[in-house]
This record gives sequence, C-alpha cells and structure tokens, in this order.
Amino acid sequence: MLRLLPFLILPLALAACDTMPRDAAGTTDRIEASGRMRVAVMPDTPDAAPALALLADYARVHGARIAKVETHGEHALRGLEDGRIDAVVGHFAKASPWKTDIALSKAVGRAEPSDGRHPVLRIARRNGENALVLATDRLVAGSAQ
Amino acid sequence: MSLHGGIPDVIADDVRHGERLEWWTLFWMAGVVLLMWLTMGASQAMKSAVIEDVLSLVPAVVFLLAVRWERRQPNRRFPFGYRRGNSLAFLIAATALLSVGAFLIYESATTLLRQEHPTVGGVTLFGHTIWLGWLMIGALLYSVVPPIILGRIKQPVAERIKDKVLHTDALMQKADWQTGLAGIAGILGIGLGWWWADSTAALFIAASIVKDAVGALRQATAELADGTPRKLASNAISEDAERLIETLKDRYGDVSVRLRETGRYIAAEVDCPSPDPVPKAEDLMPPEHAWRLASLSFRPEPQDPPA
Repeated sequence: MLRLLPFLILPLALAACDTMPRDAAGTTDRIEASGRMRVAVMPDTPDAAPALALLADYARVHGARIAKVETHGEHALRGLEDGRIDAVVGHFAKASPWKTDIALSKAVGRAEPSDGRHPVLRIARRNGENALVLATDRLVAGSAQ
Repeated sequence: MSLHGGIPDVIADDVRHGERLEWWTLFWMAGVVLLMWLTMGASQAMKSAVIEDVLSLVPAVVFLLAVRWERRQPNRRFPFGYRRGNSLAFLIAATALLSVGAFLIYESATTLLRQEHPTVGGVTLFGHTIWLGWLMIGALLYSVVPPIILGRIKQPVAERIKDKVLHTDALMQKADWQTGLAGIAGILGIGLGWWWADSTAALFIAASIVKDAVGALRQATAELADGTPRKLASNAISEDAERLIETLKDRYGDVSVRLRETGRYIAAEVDCPSPDPVPKAEDLMPPEHAWRLASLSFRPEPQDPPA
C-alpha cells in the first residue's frame, strides 16, 4: 500500500493545484450561494474599518455582500467556531488564548507587534476554512504592502 | 581486543561505517527538523512529524555512545567491560521507537475525536502570498529522502555486525519516511477540505511503528534478561545461536548448553567437564561469525571427574 502512496499523491496534487486549498465546511461556497458574508465586530474596535474593507473586497469577488451580525464578546467567537459567523473583526494578541480555536490573520493596517501579548486589529476566521483563510491572508498581506 | 573489551578486527571497518552513517543521520535529520519546524504552522501532522524526527535521533545517539563504550577495556569497577552498553542502547532505541508510535497514535486519535479542523493559511515570500501547505509538502518531501537512503544503507551493515541498535535505527528511519509520506497525504487532504485526512494518515502509520517497536522491545528485554540470542529482525532465536547449540551438543553429547547475548557477542555455558583441548571459536562457528563467540565456559557437575 505504502509503495503506491507516491503514485496516488502525485496525480492528486497535480489535479488539485488550482483548486487548493478548499474549505473543510464549505464557507466560501456558502457565501457564493447565499450572497452574504456574515461578519461580527468585537466591541471596542473603533478602528475596524480597514479590516471590514478587506472583507468587503473578498465578498465582492465572490458575488456577495457583508452582513453584519450583532453579537458580543465570546458569543461572536463561539459563533465563528460553530459556523454561524464567517469572520470576526477585533483586537487579538498573537498569543491569544483563542489562537488554537480560531484562525487569526496577521495584524491589519500595521506591522506585527514585537510583543505577542499585545492585542492589535486582526480578522478571525473559522478553523479549517483554508480557502477563506488563504484569500483573506492575501488581502491582509496586500494591504500591508 | 580483549575478552571483555574492544571491537574484533573482522568487523572494525563495518562498525566504523555504522558510526559514519549515524553521524550523517544526525547531520541530515537535524537539518530536516529545522526545516520542518520553520514550516510547521498549525498542522498537527507537521507538529507530530517534527517531534517524531527529534525522537528519531535517539537511536543514532545511543548507537554512537554504545560503540564508544564497547571500545573501552574492562577495569576494576567494570570487570566485564562495557559491552552490555549495546544491550542498554538497544532498549533505549526500542523505547524511543515505541514513544514515537504511541505519541502519534495519541495525537491523531485525539484530533479525530475532537474533530479539530486544521488551519493552513498563507505565507508571504518575496511579495507573494502562497499557501503554506505547498511549503510544508516541500519540507516533507525533503524530509523523506535522507531516511530512505540512510535506512537502506544501514540495514546490511547492521546485519554484518549483528547490531540491533543500528537495525532499530533503520526501523526508525522507515518510520521517518513513512510519517513524511503520511504527512504529505495529510496536507493534501487538508487542501482538499478533508479535515480528517491529516490524522487518519498519521494513525495508520503510527500503528505500524508501534508494531515494529513492540517487537524490538521484546528482543531488547530478552537480551537484558539473558535470553538465547535473537535474530535482528524478530524475536526468534538467531540461526548462528541454533547452530552453535547443535555443534556443542554434537561434540559433548546430550549436555545442557546455555547461550546469552551481551550486545553483539555470545557467551556460551556448557554443563560438562572442560575438554582438552578447549575448542576455539573458529572450531565451533563459521569463520565469518566466529568473532561473535566471546566467551565459552564449561561447568562440570560436582560428580563429574576432573578433566
């Protein structure tokens, strides 16, 4: 079986080059199908605009619009984990206690702080939604340049 | 070489070859560990592969230490020399292999049970943001090459010098490249949206590692408990030990013969009066394996007449 593994992997990899990565729970497909990207903004995030603009760009590319979800605190992050919200904008530290439960982007609109405990504006995505994560990572990197 | 210390001339070159292979292993695997650590991101398979690669250095290190001890001569504190260091090293190497397998099983099973969805995002290099999965696959492909080559070279050397530590290290290298391939399958699975692929691939490989490790551990325990010498790759009694028992029984009748192994060396005890002349190792074993018989004792029963 193991001898066959490279022969199984190679065509799979070649065939999938263009379409990888995909979302484990199909968030991108759902956004395209519904035309809505559900976004929550954490309380006390007065500088959320740049992150929301990036998410609006993402939504536009996929033929959708941002739909703000009114929620607060940990409810937003639970909603993200459960797939009821597609992205959360807020201030998070690189070493946030949530960092293993959600996928945090790099700092938006500024350089990554040297202190990993210092919260800065970031976009939180649902774990495993790798197409959405990569696309938004690209937008964040592009805005930094 | 003395009775309890040093390495026989016949295998000295092969032992040095084994040492060189282990230094190469440490060099290449240290590079692999560094590269994997730099690209591991949040992938469980990659984290497991890094920890597994660090543990995989253990057999190489203990082999080098054991050979160093083996060259030492006996002294007042260690009158039987340091050859049993090889048996101890074998136990450590087998335990390291088992730890790798057990760790992988725990990590994969808990990830599957918790239904954790691994996230592999983008990394920006030279102004372009690419999927980190591609870098991980590159690192894993690189990590697979040295263990395949080194493992294959080590196996015949281990067989010639009857070194179970080196053989276990070759098994560890097999575990390394299999885990690397499983990691690639896992990352591709993540890319295709199959969150379970990463851990399922690792779980299958882990089961085969644990099987190899349990076999090695049984052999190591048998060796330390003065069991009859075992084969390199299984817990069956080695062919040269079986032949030696037959030869001694042919020569001295239906007497009790006990063999045990200290590292790569065999010690034999025969329950009969000491013959005259006492046979040499070359009289009892094929010339290419005669170095294995390091000690031969005859134990007359109290009622036996003196020889």
